[in-house]
Parts: sequence; C-alpha cells; structure tokens
Amino acid sequence: MSAPSNKTKKRLVVIFFAVSFIVFLLILRLGYLQIVKGEELKKGALEQWTKGIEIKPKRGVIYDRNGKKLAMSVSSYTVWSSPADIDKPKETAKVVAEILKMDEKEVYEKITKNQRVEKLKQWITKEEAVELRKANLPGIEIIDDNKRYYPYGSFASHMIGFTDIDNNGLYGIEKVYDKYLNGTPGKWIKTTDAKGRQLPYGSEKLYEAEDGLSVVLTMDETIQHFAEKAALESLIKNNAKNVSVIVMEPKTGDILAMATKPDYDPNNPREPVDEGIKNQWKDLSQDELQKRWYDMWRNFPINDAYEPGSTFKIITSAAGLEENVTTPDTNFYCGGHIKGIPGANIKCWRWYNPHGSQTFTEGVQNSCNAVFVDVGRKLGNEKMLKYIKAFGFGENTGIDLTGEQGGIVPSDPKNIKEANLATMSYGHGIAVTPIQLVTAVSTIANGGELMKPRIVKELIDEEGKVVQSFKPEAKRRVISEETSKTLLEILESVVSEGTGKKAYVPGYKIGGKTGTAQKVIDGRYAPGKYIASFVAVAPANDPKIAVLVVVDEPSGGSYYGGTTAAPVASEVIEETLKYLDIEPQYTEKEKEEFVKKVTVPDVRNKNIAVAGKTLTELGFKYNTELPNINEDTIVIDQFPLPGTKVNEGSIIDLYFNKKGKELNINIMPDLTGKKREEVVKILDDLKLKYNFNGNGLVINQKPKAGSEIDENITVEVEFSDIKE
Amino acid sequence: MAKKRASDFTLLLSTILLVFIGIIMVFSSSWPDALYKMKNGYHFLKKQLIAGFLGLIVLVFFMNFNYKKLDKLSLFIFIASLLSGMLIFTPLGVEFNGAKRWVKLPGFTFMPSDLIKIGSVIYLSSFLSKKKDDVRKLGKGVIPSLIIIGISCGMIYAQKDLSTSFTLGVTLVSIMFIAGMKLNHLGALIAMGGVGVYKAISGEGFRAKRFLAFKDPFADKVGFGWQAVQSLYALGSGGLFGLGLGKSRQKFFYIPEPYNDFIFSIIGEELGFLGSLTVIMLFLLIIWRGIKIALNTEDLFGCLLASGITALITIQSLIHIAVVTSSVPTTGIPLPLVSYGGTSLILYMGSIGILLNISRHADLDRS
Repeated sequence: MSAPSNKTKKRLVVIFFAVSFIVFLLILRLGYLQIVKGEELKKGALEQWTKGIEIKPKRGVIYDRNGKKLAMSVSSYTVWSSPADIDKPKETAKVVAEILKMDEKEVYEKITKNQRVEKLKQWITKEEAVELRKANLPGIEIIDDNKRYYPYGSFASHMIGFTDIDNNGLYGIEKVYDKYLNGTPGKWIKTTDAKGRQLPYGSEKLYEAEDGLSVVLTMDETIQHFAEKAALESLIKNNAKNVSVIVMEPKTGDILAMATKPDYDPNNPREPVDEGIKNQWKDLSQDELQKRWYDMWRNFPINDAYEPGSTFKIITSAAGLEENVTTPDTNFYCGGHIKGIPGANIKCWRWYNPHGSQTFTEGVQNSCNAVFVDVGRKLGNEKMLKYIKAFGFGENTGIDLTGEQGGIVPSDPKNIKEANLATMSYGHGIAVTPIQLVTAVSTIANGGELMKPRIVKELIDEEGKVVQSFKPEAKRRVISEETSKTLLEILESVVSEGTGKKAYVPGYKIGGKTGTAQKVIDGRYAPGKYIASFVAVAPANDPKIAVLVVVDEPSGGSYYGGTTAAPVASEVIEETLKYLDIEPQYTEKEKEEFVKKVTVPDVRNKNIAVAGKTLTELGFKYNTELPNINEDTIVIDQFPLPGTKVNEGSIIDLYFNKKGKELNINIMPDLTGKKREEVVKILDDLKLKYNFNGNGLVINQKPKAGSEIDENITVEVEFSDIKE
Repeated sequence: MAKKRASDFTLLLSTILLVFIGIIMVFSSSWPDALYKMKNGYHFLKKQLIAGFLGLIVLVFFMNFNYKKLDKLSLFIFIASLLSGMLIFTPLGVEFNGAKRWVKLPGFTFMPSDLIKIGSVIYLSSFLSKKKDDVRKLGKGVIPSLIIIGISCGMIYAQKDLSTSFTLGVTLVSIMFIAGMKLNHLGALIAMGGVGVYKAISGEGFRAKRFLAFKDPFADKVGFGWQAVQSLYALGSGGLFGLGLGKSRQKFFYIPEPYNDFIFSIIGEELGFLGSLTVIMLFLLIIWRGIKIALNTEDLFGCLLASGITALITIQSLIHIAVVTSSVPTTGIPLPLVSYGGTSLILYMGSIGILLNISRHADLDRS
C-alpha cells in the first residue's frame, strides 16, 4: 500500500478551488437569471401560460320612441369542444350527435381537430343544453350566448334590419348603428398547460364585456301599426306589388312610421313570410335566391326612386307662390291641349273635357296639368331647378338607413329643354324617393324649413341613461312661412273639394295631393304599370303629421292615386290623429251631417239581392267590383264594417267570394254524405280544426251547413259507422 | 491499521438532505406526467421512494464494507459492469424515448451506464494506485489508463449517450491528474478530447443544432431552443422566493420530463433562488467533504477512489446546473442524488457509502 504524494494533495486543493470558482460563477448566473432577469422571463412565461377566450357583449336593444322593445338579445347557448380534453372521442361524438341531432361523423371530425377550441353548434335550445350538461362530457363546453330576437316578427322589418349569426348588423338600423349596438367584447383569461388544458390552479381573470348601447327610434310603434295595417290592406285590395306608407312629424323631421309591404321576418330573414312564395323559392339556385333576398330586403321608400307625378305639383306650387308668379286667385285656362312647346304634345289629363277657365287654387284641386305647365314656364329653368334642389330632390336626405338613393333631377338648368320644364312641372321626367317627397312636403307643413329625416332619437345605456341624443336638424329654409300657409290652405281644398276627396276625414282639416304616374322601366314608360300616390298634411291648420302613401303597380281595378292611395292615407291619418289626442274640430256643415250619421248594417253572408235591398232602404249606395254577379252571390265582406257611423248616402263597398280567402270569414259547407278523405280536404282548405267521430259517411256536422264561421272554430263531424 | 472511527457526519447529512429534497421534487415535478400518462400521480414518487430506501441500505452497507476489499475486487467489478453494458445489445435491452439505455431483468430495470461509471472509477483508482509513479510515463501508465477510459467511455458512447460518456471521461482524467500525470500529457489529452467532442457534435445533426440554439435559444423558441427557453422561463418565474412547493407551471408539459434532466429548473421555479442556492450549497458541502476525505487518506487507492467518486458527483451536478441555466448547450444529464432514476440514485448513494467508509479510515477533524 502506497500513500498519496504531496503532488496529489496539492492538485486536490487546486481542484477544490477551481470547482469552488465554477460553483461561484454558476451561482452568479443563477442569481442573474432569477433575480435580475426574473421579471422579463416571467412575462414570457405568463404569455405562454395564459389563453384568452372572448366574451361576447350583449347587443343593445332597439326601442320605439315610447320604450317598446323592437329588437332584443335573448340568452342562448353555444357548444364548444376543446379536443385536447376529450379522451374518448368516439363515445363523446355519439352522445353529442344524439343530443344535438347532428351527424355523428361530423361531430367526430370536429372534436378530433388539431385545434384548441372548435365550435360545434350555435344556439341550441335550453333543453338540449340541460341534457348535454347532464351527460357531463369532458372537453365539451356550453357557453352562454346571445341571439338576436325580434318580438314583433316582420313588424317594421325594413327599418330595423337584421343581423348575421355573429350578431353583426347587416341591414337597417342594425347595420347603421352597429358600432353602438355592438359593445366591447370582454376576455376570460385562464392559465393552461402546454397542451391547452386548464391548469388545476393559477389565476383566472375575467374582463367583463361592455354591453352595447340601446337605440331609441323616433318611430312610434302604434302609428307604425296603423301604417302597416293600412299598407297591407291596400296591398291586398289593390293587388299591388308594393305599398309604402311613411308618417313624418313635419316640425322635427321625425319618422313616426315607415311601412313597406310585403316584408320579411328579421328573425329568419332568408325565408319569405308568405307560404306560397316559400314554395316557389324551393327549387331556386343560390344565385337566384340571393337576388330574391336582396329584393325582399329592399326598403322601397329609401332605396328606390320613382316618377312622382302630380304629387310633385306641390313643389311647383310652392316655387310659384314663393316667387310670386302666381297667387291663389290668379286665373288660368285649360284648353285640353297645351300648345307652343316644341317637340312635345302635352295634354291635360282631362283633355277630352278641358277644365276651361279656373283659378290657381281650382287648378290644384283639379290637378290640371295646364296650370302647372304655365307656372313652370313662368318660373323658368333656373328658378324651377333651384326650388327642386332646395326641397332636397337629387340629394340624399341623410336618413340613417342603408342604401339611400338620391333620385334623378337635371344637374344644370342649361340641360333642361322646354319640354322637360313643362313635364317636370307636373312631376314627370324626374325621379324622387318617397322619403325625399315626404320630407319636402314636411317643409311646406312646418313653415318652410327642410329637415333632415330623423330616425334615431337617442342612444341609452342599460340603466336607461341617455348617452347621446340626436337633435332635430334643419338643413335650410326653402320657402317663407306665408307661402307655407297659403299652400296648406290650397292643399286642404284639394281634399275637401278636389281630387283628394277620398282622403277626407270628418273633423280634421287635411291638405293633400294625389299622384299617378306610369312606371318607367328600362327608360321607357311601361304600359299598364302605374305608381299611385297620395301625400297629405294633417291637420292643415296646425300640421302634426305628413303622410305619404305609395302604391306600386296597383292591379285591382283603379290605378288612380285618388282612389287607391288616398283612402289608405285617410285611414292612417284618422287613426294617428286620434291616437295623438288631436281633438276633431267639426265645421257647422260637418256637425249637421254628423247628426245625420247612419250606422252601417251588417250585410255579410247575405246574397246580393238581400244585401242590396237592405242598403237601399237605409239610403246607402253600394259598390260591387265584380261585373259578373248573380242574385245568389254571397257578400262575404263589406267596407266600412257593420256598426261604423257614416254619412247618409255613403257608398258601401261589397266584397264577394272571389276575394274571400284573404279575409278570414267563411260559410260552413255542407259535409253530409261525404267520405272522410273528402271532409279532411275541405276542412284543411278552409284551415279549420276538426274532431271526427266514427267512420264511413258524414251523417251530422256542427256548425250546421250555411252558418257563419271563422277560422278559430273546431268542426265536429259525426260519421255513420258503416265501413266501405 | 488504524482503529475504526466514526464516518463523516457532514457528508452523510448533506447526502440525506439532498436525497430528501430530491424525492419531494421528483414527486412535485412528476405529478402532471404521472397523472396524464400513468393515470397515477404517485407513480414516480413510489418508484423513487423505493429506490431511496434501497439506496439507503446500499449506503449503510458500503459505509461498513472495508473499501480496501474493493481494491481486490476492482477488476471483477469493472468486467461485470462492462458485461452489464453488453446486455443492452441483447434482447434484454429496453428502448425508452428513442434511446436504448436500459436493461430489463425479471423484477426490475436498470441503467448499465451508471454501473460502468462507478466500476471504471474503482478500477482506474486501483490500477493507478498500484502503478504509482508510472502514471508519469506514457507507455506504462498513461496509455493503459487511456485504454481503460476508452473502453468504459466507448461503451457508454455506443449507447448514444455523449453527455454521460463525456462526464465519465472527465472524471477518469481527473483521477489521472490527481494521481500525478504530467501536465503536458494532460494538455495533449484535453486537446484530443476537444477534437473528439467537436467531431461528435458536428457528426450528429441534432447535436449541432442544439449547440447553435445555445447561442440564442429565443431565436428558435419552438424548435431546438424550446428546452432552454422553458428552463429559463421556469427559473425566471421562480424569482427570489419561488412560486411555492408544488406550484410550478412549467412542469405541465412545457418542460419535457421535468423530474429528470431539468429538475433543477423546477427547483428554481418552486423554491426560488434561495431554494436552488441551498441545493448548490449542499453539493458544495459534499464536494468539500469528498476532497477533504481524499486529502486526509493515507492510502493512495482510498485517496484516488474518494477523488474519483467526488469528481463524478461534481462534474455531473455542475453540468446539470450549467445546462439548466443555459450556461452550456442543452444536453440531457440528470442531477445526482436528486433526479428521478433508481439505478442512479442507488449507485450514487452506494458511492457516498464508499466515501463514508474511506472517511472512517482517514484522519479527519470532526466537529
């Protein structure tokens, strides 16, 4: 055995010091990393540990001016999967597919994707959510979500618009006010391991989403209802393509109602409301469908310009009166044909029976083209165009809705030929949008100031506090208050004496003007296609509303504005004024007539002979639209309805079977002796509910054949027990 | 012969403390892996506890087993360890994580490289203690020693375990240095070793890339720099006091097998700078006592053996800490006495047992 040498011992000591030095260096390095660079490294580490999940804010509500909810967000559920946490994908897919009624293969593919999270299904029902939670599947998460809901369905749909599946506004107010309605998304930050699974501990942070603001419209839900009801009635009665009704408050430019029929249900914007159309759409290609959708979503009063026809004479009148080229009592002469205009053969609409000598006021009442051509020519190109532009034609009104059109007016007075000036004077050869026209008429009604149409009153937060309010905005003064007053008086006489008689509402002074224009399609006048309109201001002595009714392509007989559009306006005006608590002021004459009011009898379900006799005995006249009727034709509806008080000698419109299906009243057919299948078909056609008793042939029925029924009844049918 | 004295208490206490810390940290850092892969959070803890218990028995055995008998058994031990290494290339060899480094025998699996490490240290110490002054001669001392080193390191290198064979090579050369080899021989040897390591690194694509990633691990954060970056994140988020025992986040699959080659990162993350400093100081204590024992042993074999064992622990622990702190390129090397691994723990505890037995024969000042 040998002992270690001194060299060995020395070298051991050297090694010890060398190692100690290295250890010292490593300690320094460790201290540098953990203490000096610690914060910086920690930040990097935190970044990789934390994952943010976006929390959707709740979309704001759309209210009418009185606080009724027109669009709101309701709680819904969305199913997400985090594939990393699913350990039995096959079984999980099976269970999920069963509960959510999805394809098992599709679910399997989604939950095995190499993704941190994958959306499985949006907006499942509460029942599905409960069942899925009960199944307690790891890696399948149910997140509370919001779904847009429109409680009134198709109500005011063109104005409100709708959103996509992710709650982004696509049309109407939903689109224009999207950034306010949307709010700010929040974030849920959680710490996860390297595979994206949540750590068993560690900090979770929740940054709450900031909910969107709510929008308060200037629209009044009640008035909108009047407008929609009237528009729908008119659409059916006139078999029109399109009916729009706008009600505006002249002083503020507030849109109180804006209805367009037909419409769509924003809850389901890609499906037509009408069952028949739904069937027609079934076989359409995607491209064609898309075209139909856009047509359906078009907001006619804003998106489409039309030739206004005689309603535009109001504008010519205003310009003429303001520029003193005419007074209400100035004399004009109508000889049927208007001579002296090169390159045009212009006639008054009553050229076969000319109006002859008349005052300006009478000219407006008669809607005599000759008068307006004279006024227009006296004004000249420059002044005429100045007023057209001043009233806002040819430019966007600036209403907060999507896709507004500016219409077509000449850009420069030099471009206006004599013939153009003449036709423009009575509303032909230019194109305006309904919103432009109603805004222009409001200008006349409010004393001469052109307002910017206001559709949103204010933005409010969840507590109802006003965050931003939009004040009425006057664009410019167009005519003097005096002209305004004079013109209103003339317009009032149009309704009391002239072509607008059908808009007459007893007790209220209404100023209005009818209009009928042939439609221009692809630059030519389309034969047989008209746009009938009526614009009105009420009450004429203190205007509270301006109403425009536009009936597009009426084909129910008459296409004159006075007969198709005016009654619609009258209905809306009367209901609206009463709703607004504006007291009727009867004139002496009206009071007298009021006493002589007669109640309309009920002649429905009677044959024409009986009904006619009843009405004649009471001093009514009646009107039937069908030329081929015989004594046995049954009256299925009448207007005005029974119980309405009307003037003695009024005309009662009678409707017969042909149009009966649109009205929900019917006569019980005789089922006796019919087979079960036949009965089912008959009752289904009538959309009636029924209860059957027995088999074989019908031996008894309730209600009895011939009795009056509505669609809410249940028919009891008794069969003989004989089997065939 | 001197009468038997008590063994070195400081060394024993430091070792027990390190093993204790090791078991706790293996438990903490292996929890996510054990839970997700083994479906039992206690999987690694159980194995490490058993190994720790067996290690303690082995430690006590060698503490009382006269180390001088090892001198006589050295050749047998060396050959046996080499033979166990051969087993890897028989059907008994087991592959794990892409490396074939384990041998499965009925009832247990072990890692022959750990056996070869201790076997070659014992054999070289014995060889050099007999040659005494021949270590200065090239033909009689240096060349034979290098053959022994070549055989043992080559055996481990054949398992594609460069870092372990490097550790062992440095350890064995340290023994030669302590035995008194000429400095010019040493210089030449280091130069040759440097060339060898360079060849090994440039020869294998992944080693070269790891080496490049070392220069700026953040440049290839999700690739070769991943482990280094994750280790730095762990140390950094630990700060001065640590996130608290069990609260590491990096062990959740950010650091692969955190109970093994990167256990020191998790110690830094959970126990902070203070905790990792404590572990370093415990190692320094072991190194100090090991060298002290070598210095005070009047027997050359005992001196060289004590030096060799100490060198083995020193080099491996310093490389581990250097890797974790990104002070050297990333390589997989466990922390002695602390990292998970039964064979390693038992053999290191056994080695400490041998050191303790040598201390009983040494003239130490014991407080």
